[in-house]
Amino acid sequence: MKRDISVGFVGAGGAGVVTCGEMLIQAAAHEGLSAMATMSFGPQIRGGESSSKVRVSDTVVYSPGDYLDVLVAFHLAEYLKFKTELELRDDVIIFMEHDDSMAANPPFATGPNARIIPVPFQKLAKEEAKNPMAVNIVALGMVCEALKLPYKGMLEIIKKRFAKKGEAVVAMNLRAVEIGQQYARDVVGALPEAKVFGYTPKEPRLVLSGNDAAALGAIYADCNFFAGYPITPSSEIMHNLSEWLPLFGGRMLQVEDEISAICHCIGASFAGARAMTCTSGPGLSLMQEGMGLASMAEVPVVIVDVQRGGPSTGLPTKSEQSDLLPAVFGTHGDAPKIVLAPADVRDCFDVTREAFYAAEHYQMPVIVLSDQFVGHRFEAIRKDAFLERVEFRGGRDIASAEDLVDYMRYKDTPSGISPVSIPGMPKGEFLASGITHDERGNPSANADVHEKMVIKRFKKFNQLRKELTYIRHYGPEDAPVAAVAWGSTKGAVREAVERLNAEGHKVKAVIPQIIYPPNYDQFDAYVRPCKRFIVFESSWNQQFAKFVKTYYLPKENQIISYAHAGGRTLRVQEIYDALKEVL
Amino acid sequence: MSTTPIRWQDYKSPLNPIWCPGCGHFGVLNATYQALAALGIPQHEICFISGIGCSSRIPGYTKTYGFNSIHGRALPIASGVKLANPKQTVIVATGDGDCLAIGAGHLPHTAKRNVDITVLMMDNGIYGLTKGQTSPTSPHEMKTKSAYFGNQELPENPLALALAYQATFVGRSFSANIPHLADLITKAVRHKGFSFLQILSPCVTYRGRDQFVILRDLCQPLPDTHSPDDRMSAYKYAEDPSKLWIGLFYEAQAPTLEDKLNHVMDVAQQTKGRMEKDALLKRFQI
Repeated sequence: MKRDISVGFVGAGGAGVVTCGEMLIQAAAHEGLSAMATMSFGPQIRGGESSSKVRVSDTVVYSPGDYLDVLVAFHLAEYLKFKTELELRDDVIIFMEHDDSMAANPPFATGPNARIIPVPFQKLAKEEAKNPMAVNIVALGMVCEALKLPYKGMLEIIKKRFAKKGEAVVAMNLRAVEIGQQYARDVVGALPEAKVFGYTPKEPRLVLSGNDAAALGAIYADCNFFAGYPITPSSEIMHNLSEWLPLFGGRMLQVEDEISAICHCIGASFAGARAMTCTSGPGLSLMQEGMGLASMAEVPVVIVDVQRGGPSTGLPTKSEQSDLLPAVFGTHGDAPKIVLAPADVRDCFDVTREAFYAAEHYQMPVIVLSDQFVGHRFEAIRKDAFLERVEFRGGRDIASAEDLVDYMRYKDTPSGISPVSIPGMPKGEFLASGITHDERGNPSANADVHEKMVIKRFKKFNQLRKELTYIRHYGPEDAPVAAVAWGSTKGAVREAVERLNAEGHKVKAVIPQIIYPPNYDQFDAYVRPCKRFIVFESSWNQQFAKFVKTYYLPKENQIISYAHAGGRTLRVQEIYDALKEVL
Repeated sequence: MSTTPIRWQDYKSPLNPIWCPGCGHFGVLNATYQALAALGIPQHEICFISGIGCSSRIPGYTKTYGFNSIHGRALPIASGVKLANPKQTVIVATGDGDCLAIGAGHLPHTAKRNVDITVLMMDNGIYGLTKGQTSPTSPHEMKTKSAYFGNQELPENPLALALAYQATFVGRSFSANIPHLADLITKAVRHKGFSFLQILSPCVTYRGRDQFVILRDLCQPLPDTHSPDDRMSAYKYAEDPSKLWIGLFYEAQAPTLEDKLNHVMDVAQQTKGRMEKDALLKRFQI
């Protein structure tokens, strides 16, 4: 019996492949299972080939899974376009349309242990379910029954999903799923015990994407202003907030470009709002000057960058971790800012909340460095786990009546954090500016003033380093080898390390959540006992390895870089193999 | 609230302007002090937002909240301020380079959204702060530091642009005519919606005394026959090559962006009810 199973769906436009993925993860969540779903599309705006992949586990899922246990192919030809995303296990079970033109010559090599089951999906939908559109629902019924996936959950999801369309539609879909179930019983028959899924139902879970979670995090952090410009793969954050902010009394605006977006946020924040924008690589480039202004004028602002393959237009619908150095160093001048990296869907929620705290408290821009892989994927998460991390700790240091007597907006305090007045506060008038200014905010071209104020702004990092210390680490303390990673690479790295630990190997994973400013003490404490480090990342140019070498480890020869370009995510197996080689 | 009326001197900051002696912007600054005093708005309820350029120094010289930001971005910053804090009177100080070149992309959008802010665009047809390069309103064939053989482009017409962009208040004045300018600024700030003022403001350093003389001779108040609600007439006077008409070209009443977003909020909350965080999270519960 399998406690962990990966199911893939592939087909041409209209086959309902994405719906299959969504409904399967929802059904799994309904029965309390851990699950992750990823979707992949062709370049077409609407229609066109697509694939989805759902990994379901009775214990816990960290990654989308390297290989498929089950593939449902509505159109075999489309499989070719998703080959690297849908690799097959050698004992894979493939359900395919029985009269597919490629049936005699399938586009994948299958070993002797694989099993191909032809199914008349279209015929079942058309003739039995009386709805040619219900091909995917028939397939879901069949897969759930044949592999003992959560069928009961699937029925509930159908009722919920189609409720708005009326009883007749719900009934039709319930019939379609039953037709699939019946076909599995009558024609496919029982599959070997070792190939079917086994689980214990638990409390229903939440299902959401990383972009949903980031938008939720903003709401939980009392964000009340958002300005943004559409860009894949970040737009879902804006879509959510366009509905949610007005419901919570906030304001949301789609503006003319990313420069305007960040400047709107800076203006709103200066005027007292908790402001956020979201973007992806090209937009991050356009926002750089604005981020420098926010750093210089000490205006809190949160920027969520959902990374995609770059440079330029690059791979808009696929992931990469190559905005790291631009996020940290992209702004001209010595500009302190904070870069935080969420590692999974729940993290998008936590990190966005944390980002608001950090921005408001330290009065500087905070970049949340998410990516397409985490932003677009769906995870089934326990609700109690969702809310278990730190509460939002408060806002910015507002000037008191005492501060406002002979007020100095940029007062050089021991922490570097200066009490701030908000427009509307009598006697709090000051000039915020991007030009070098003194403690009062008055423009200056004096070298001494410039240096003093640069130091004042960077001084805020001292307290910040003590406060934002969250760093993930897995495996034994005294392991001689460490896998170092960041952001969405965490899942596969953790899985590989835990697999090696289970086999008795001493290896650990170290994954910082705060990327910048680098938290030397915390990071060094975890890696000091190690003799070797392998840095895993989705950046061909080894951005993170270079970053780690610059900031953390004195001996370069200890570092091995495992880097690849984006477009695909790291497999657990390759991480496992790379680590095993140096053990 | 203090009971003594606010004097124009109360808006003066302790900083001394760094402008060249004879700069037209001194007139704009003085007219602004007078307009603010006439309006009687307390200092802490005013936000003066600017980008970069000689004109953009003004927030430093007014004792209000101010933001001297980056080149070309005063409009989106001002719009953000107004949306987040609608009680503030938001005024933008900008110039022909800041507003019509690097920041030109923001002008149509801020205008058509009808954000309730006032834009004082000081127009001297030259880049003064960077010491004498061509600007979008530099005259054709004018020699500048960056146009050694003369400017090969025709100047933009800021008023015609503002009208086309659907600004709801469009006017022009001359920095040497302080009473006229102060009056127009007062009206522009009072106007609920996006107000755009082109303020002809000579640059004595890079355009010489000639520019002042030409502007003085060409400026003439709009005739009484012109009605500010007549859009076509406003275009006609804006496009008149023989004169630089000054005064209120166009004014219309329309809902502001703040009104519109408040409306969205009302509709959202009426149809769906004010949301609680937990209820939102529950939406994702399967």
